[in-house]
Amino acid sequence: MSVYQVNKILYLTDNDAAFRKRMQEEPEALLDEFSLSKEERDALTSGAVGKLYQMGVHTFLLNHLYRWELFGVNRDNYLARIREGMAYDPRFEQGNMPVQRFIKN
Amino acid sequence: MAKLVLAAGVPHPPRLVFEMQQTPGKTKGEALMKQVREQVEKAEPDLIIEVDSDHFVNFFYNNLPSFCIGMAEEAQGPQETWCPMPRYTVRGHVPLAKALFKYGVNEKFDLAAAHELRLDHSLVVPLHFLNPGMALPVVPIYTNGFASPLPLATRCVALGRMLSRFIDAWEGKERIALIASGCFAMDVGGPLRGWIDTEWAETISTLLVRGHYQTLARRATEERINKAGNNSGELLNWITVAGAVGKTKPLFLEGDEGSGYAVWKFE
Repeated sequence: MSVYQVNKILYLTDNDAAFRKRMQEEPEALLDEFSLSKEERDALTSGAVGKLYQMGVHTFLLNHLYRWELFGVNRDNYLARIREGMAYDPRFEQGNMPVQRFIKN
Repeated sequence: MAKLVLAAGVPHPPRLVFEMQQTPGKTKGEALMKQVREQVEKAEPDLIIEVDSDHFVNFFYNNLPSFCIGMAEEAQGPQETWCPMPRYTVRGHVPLAKALFKYGVNEKFDLAAAHELRLDHSLVVPLHFLNPGMALPVVPIYTNGFASPLPLATRCVALGRMLSRFIDAWEGKERIALIASGCFAMDVGGPLRGWIDTEWAETISTLLVRGHYQTLARRATEERINKAGNNSGELLNWITVAGAVGKTKPLFLEGDEGSGYAVWKFE
């Protein structure tokens, strides 16, 4: 289990501009530097947010995938993806807070 | 001997400053922050102690304390580039932070200390409103509100009580404002994003308004907190402040979308 490594990649993406640039420009080479299982790496590079969630990646860190629009994740598909594989929950319908559009600079 | 002149609790919406610029006078958060600021101004504090939970900006799983005192001479933030608001340099107060650390350890609180800090929006958004121009020094106290296992809420009450005794014992003459930063119930990035556990938020508000802080702490188990979403551990900051206010009930508490704005006065 190397969920710690996935969490670390997401933490560095949001906190370290040079790391983030590499995530955007050469993610495969960057990920080679971490000891991820094949399952973790595949889930990350395919933007499988639901799988990462079920593996135990911290949801606040997972959120950085859409903040930085990495691996095809964006504000429009993030919620649907994280709910993939979950049983329907009526609270899904009760959200009255908009998913925020973050400003990048 | 220093004096606790005011305590307050506010959330830290990362976009509140931006939204106010876009639509001035329209957001409830703006009005409530103003209401809290008026009380802070009236209380004329010389120093702020802010109880906050870092959002994986200063701390990460490589080293993540349950409780930590900020001892930096100054620190910058918010560090998150996606947070649309001004960047500030916030002054610390090293002598008070050091004395608090020592006092806490003597009172059996095995605190951590950080001499360098990267401030996140959760620390800076309340200060943008309540410490205009960052005129006052700020001593941050971090509680781990994000990475399970969270500290026990009952332990946070004890931490707050220790803090109150420390303020009474501290050799300085400062008038101190104690601020809790955080929401009651919110999910950011989890599958329930957008949903608000209003039942839990209302329970928290009611218990705070009545001054039933011990009951709140007993009910605020990690299981209950987690049910309300991944940011709901920020309640521990409110509970820490509630521990420091003793029997005093809030002057006011207003709710807003899973969060609250409150002030306690002591003179």
